[in-house]
Parts: sequence; structure tokens; C-alpha cells
Amino acid sequence: MTNVIQAANRDVNGPLLELTDVKTHFRTRRGLVRAVDGVSLTLERGKALGIVGESGSGKTILSRSIMGLLPTKGTERHGSIRFEQQEIGNLGRKQMRHIWGKEMAMIFQDPMTSLNPLMKIGKQIAEPLRIHLGMDKATAWATAERLLQDVRIPEGARRLHQYPHELSGGMRQRVMIAIAMACGPTMLFADEPTTALDVTVQAQILDLLNDQRKDRNMSLILVTHDLGVVAGHTDEIAVMYGGKLVEKAPTRALFADMKMPYTEALMQSIPKIDDPSHTRLMAIGGRPPDLVNPPQGCRFAPRCLYTRDKCLTEEPPLVATDNPEHTYACWYPVGSPEYHESKARLSETPVTIGRLD
Amino acid sequence: MRYALQRFTQFLIVFFLVTFGVMVFMRIGLNKPGDPARTMLGGTVSQDLIDTTTRRFHLDSNYLVQYWYWLKGMLTLDFGYSNPNNLNVTTYLKPRVLTTVFLGLYSIFFALLVAVPVAVYQAYKRDRPFDKLSSFATFFFISVPAVVLAPLLKYIFIDWLAWFPRLSSKVYPWDNPMLHIKNFFVPVLVLTIPLAATWIRLLRADMVQTLQSDFITLASAKGVPPSRVLWGHALRNSVFSLVTSVGFQLGGLVGGALIVEAYFNMKGMGSLLVVAILSSDLFTVQSVSAILVACVVLVNLGVDLSYALIDPRIRHARALS
Ligand code: SF4
Repeated sequence: MTNVIQAANRDVNGPLLELTDVKTHFRTRRGLVRAVDGVSLTLERGKALGIVGESGSGKTILSRSIMGLLPTKGTERHGSIRFEQQEIGNLGRKQMRHIWGKEMAMIFQDPMTSLNPLMKIGKQIAEPLRIHLGMDKATAWATAERLLQDVRIPEGARRLHQYPHELSGGMRQRVMIAIAMACGPTMLFADEPTTALDVTVQAQILDLLNDQRKDRNMSLILVTHDLGVVAGHTDEIAVMYGGKLVEKAPTRALFADMKMPYTEALMQSIPKIDDPSHTRLMAIGGRPPDLVNPPQGCRFAPRCLYTRDKCLTEEPPLVATDNPEHTYACWYPVGSPEYHESKARLSETPVTIGRLD
Repeated sequence: MRYALQRFTQFLIVFFLVTFGVMVFMRIGLNKPGDPARTMLGGTVSQDLIDTTTRRFHLDSNYLVQYWYWLKGMLTLDFGYSNPNNLNVTTYLKPRVLTTVFLGLYSIFFALLVAVPVAVYQAYKRDRPFDKLSSFATFFFISVPAVVLAPLLKYIFIDWLAWFPRLSSKVYPWDNPMLHIKNFFVPVLVLTIPLAATWIRLLRADMVQTLQSDFITLASAKGVPPSRVLWGHALRNSVFSLVTSVGFQLGGLVGGALIVEAYFNMKGMGSLLVVAILSSDLFTVQSVSAILVACVVLVNLGVDLSYALIDPRIRHARALS
């Protein structure tokens, strides 16, 4: 098995991925869009990291920046991205091509549009095998069949000769996972992999991703707007807002003791199973910040329930809690005296914003 | 299979309706016995000749019978008789058809040969200098009408550079390939330029759209080199309007080359049809329009089949119907 050989050859020392002050800015007619604005984080081998945020928080742009999948025209990249101890942040598409599909792979949100409608499933899975591993057609197709087995698609031999439109959404997402797994990557990006799927299929796909990650000692970055999705399937969670990292913690620590009011708001927007049905969910009022002219101070301030004067002028730095692995950027975090004071004040006046009807 | 059969039946129905319609239309107002023959023969001719002609082509029977005889003739490649040319239609139709077919096929072939790579490269280098420059050029060439382009190119290549013979005469490639090419070069160029320009714009637009699809990003993310992303993934997903347009042009060959035929003195089908209608040359009009209709309908069938060939979804939908 190629996977085993590759896994053995991998340098097991040091983190797999190391981002330092990564910035991705787009030049537009309106001005510079600071889609990702100074993100630093590290990811260990075999671990799963969830990147959570609303649309427009920069989470998708961040994952695409790491992969180098953004258009070169009009894009400014700053900071350092080290992958397997090697700087890849400044590599062009030409050089990245040898990493794409081989070392790093990506699963997209919509399985309906992410497979080539005019190409047989088999050929689409075999393609990276032939390109990166130099397999001949027969070997590549045989491997493709085994990959379909790995992602639990029955009757693989028959499926290989089908076209995407003959498969259900869940099946197609499995095919996409098979394509991503084909060359045994060390790093997998899954961008909202379940958003377009039925609720019943969502869990299956997430479990499958997790199993594949463990079997192959692969790292996973799971990008989603839904904290519920990452809860059971990640080791760590990074919350993004307005192109910045606002809280990062081991999954358990985050759910036990979140610090950022934004994380709290995201949490309150997850439906809970033991809620009585028709419980109103809290939605976060207001809109994500304008990334051309981001607000001074804390970027969440215009929407935060606990904003004070300091928040409007000074940007909160990322600081650690007692747990050095748990960092957050907020002047008056959840649990602070000011937080409780604001909270008490809020409960006296009825909240009129932020209710989802 | 059922689909193909259905399409073929449609083809026959359209063909019969149009050709029969043309026949009836050409005989409007020719009600007295001997009228059709008299019109056909033109000028003052003896009653004898009129009678023989009438009998020979059953011009006194009702339309259905006439149509039947004409159709039977068509099947044996006997297209009837043309008096202004004093010839069997079949004999003088052949070089006309060949001239038009050469003109059409060459121009379509070369237009595609230029259009596809240029459009693909434009889409790949979108908004870069190459794209902008060539987009301007295509816009320019689409706007130039054939009546301007034909004299211009004739002046440049035939009068000024004197690369090609002044007057074209029919030369078949199997007789003298070199002269054949020289003959056709400038007229084909006149036809190719606007075609290529149109198709470049058409394909570029579709390619640009396809290149923004998720599956293209996925192909890149698999490590597929750009050339394969373009030619292997994107092009096939972008050719539908192009195929339709090529079919349209193929079907419209006969009329489309009219200006070029006239200007370069090439005796093709377009000019033939015009002359034949003006001189009430019954059988010529019928034959040429029959060929025309057959072309249009067959090409449509071809376009339809190529859709199915390109896109499995269409294939499957049809198999189910
Ligand atoms: S810094 Fe202030 S505005 Fe920003 S999240 Fe914390 S409390 Fe809210």
C-alpha cells in the first residue's frame, strides 16, 4: 500500500503545518479587501482542526490560501506558511501543483457541482493517481475501485463507469473524499463538506472523514459555519471573525469555557437536541464587518452585546487563559466581571436585536 | 434508439413538407395546361416542345403525382431538367454543389482550427494583454461585413501581392491540388475571418464561465496540470453553444456564401438559387431547395447527436424517454 510507505517516510518531528501572521488581501475597485488579516496557528500531524466562522469571516479564504488555490491576479499574500518544514507560502501554482492532490487535498462544499459532469467517476479518481504516482490506466482504475470501497460505496466496479449525475449527493461527496484520499495526502481540507447534504447523511460523511484521518494519520482542517459540526470531530477549534483568529482552543476546552462573546453567540445558534421544539435560536444581529474598512478596535464591537469604550478604540490581542493552548482576543471575555455586569444590565432591558423569528 | 428513430421521422416529415411546399409555390399562377412547361422553357417555343416537356415531367398531373415523380428522380440522382442552362439539372448541379461544399467546409474547418485554441488561451489568460488584444480584434472582425472584407482581401492578396490567380475557375483538388488551394484561398479567408471571430467570442465566454466552476477548481486541486484542466475538463463542458453555431453555419452554407460567390465569380449554390428563382427554373429551384433543406435538417440531427455524444446526462435522459 502506497499510503503505508508514505506514512513511514514522513518526518514525524515538528508540526505538519505552521502559519505565521498569514495575510491574504484582494485588490478590488473598492479598495484592499483584508479577507485574512494576520492568522497564526500550528497543526500537528494526524490532528483535526475546525475553523469556524460566519460566511465572510475569512475561513474559506484561509484554507484556500494555505493550499495556494487562490487566483494570483489581484491577490496579495503575506506571512509564512510552513508545511512539512518547508515554506510554501510564496510558491506559485506551478510548484504547488506537485503538492496538490498528493500532499494536500481538498473537499468542496457542493458535491453537485464539484465533480466534472462529463467524466466517468473512475477517470476522475484515477486522474491524480496517474499524474502523481505515475500509475498506468489499469492500476489506477483498480486502485480507484479500492478507494470506493474505502469510502463505503458498494458495487465500486459498476460505479466507476457511472457519471456524477447517476449518484446521490451523499455518494458524490464520498466520491470526492475518495478523490482526495487517492494519493494518501498528509493534509486534508474539507470546506463545509456537509452543508449541502441531508442531515442523515451529514453524520455519516463526518464519521467517514474522521475514520479516514485516523487510518491514514492525516491532518484535517474542517471549515464550517456550524460549531455543531466540529464539536465531535475535531481536536482543536479556531474561531475566525473579520479575517482574524478570535479564539482558539482544544475542542473540549472551548465548549467547556469559551471566552469570546462571538464564540458564545455562535454556540447559541446551534440547535440543541434537548431544546423544546420551536425554541427560538439566537442569531447574531448585524452583519460581518466590511473588510475594506474594518472597524477600529475590536472587529466584533458593532455587534457585540458587551461592548465598552475600550473595545471601540483598542484592538484586543490574542491572549492565553490558564491553559496555554486556549487563546482568545477580547477585552471583556465571557466570565469577566464586566461581562457579568453587562449581562445583568441586558437582562433588565429586553433584547430586541438578535432574535431570529 | 427510440430517440434516433423519432428524430429521423421528424427529419423525413420536414423534408417532405418543405420540398412539396416549394414545388407548389413555384407553380402558383401556372394554371392553364402547358403553363409550367412554357414558363420553364421560357421565350417563344413550339407547342410541340411544350407538349413533350409536359409529358416528360408529368407537368399536367396533380401536384402529388408530380411530386412523386420528382422524388423518384431525386432518389436516382436525376434532378430534372433546366432549360436556361439547357442541361440536365444533375449535370450542372454537381460542380455547383462541390464549389459550395468546398467553400463551406474549408471555412468552417479553418475557423474552428483558429477559434478553439485562441478562445481556450484567452479564457486561460483572462483579462491579460493577450485576451484584451485578441478580444478587440475579434470584435473588429465581427463588425466588418463581407462586402467590405471581400474587396479588401481581394485587393491585398490578388491585385497587390498577386499571390493567387485573378479569376477563379473550378479546379478540383484531385485534378490540381495546388491550383485548387490557390483558387479557394482568398474566398475561404473572407468566410473564415468573421466565422472565427464569432466562434472565438462564443467559446471564450463559455470557457470563462466553465473555468469558474467548482469542478475546475477541484481538478486543479488534484494537481492536474493547466493544459489538461483546459483541454480535458473545461473545453468539453464549454462547447455546447459552439456546436450549435457550427451546425447553424453548416446548414446555412448555401445562402451564406452568396456574396463571396458573386464577388469571386465562384459558381456555387447560392448564386444558382437566385438565378433559378428569377428565371422560374422549376426543377433547379426544387432541387437546390431540396438539398438545402436536407442539409439543414441533417445538420440539426448531427448537432443533436453530438450533444448526446458530449453529455452523458442528455444521453441518459433520452434513453429514458
Ligand atoms: S473586545 Fe469588546 S467588543 Fe470585542 S468581543 Fe470583547 S467585549 Fe465584545
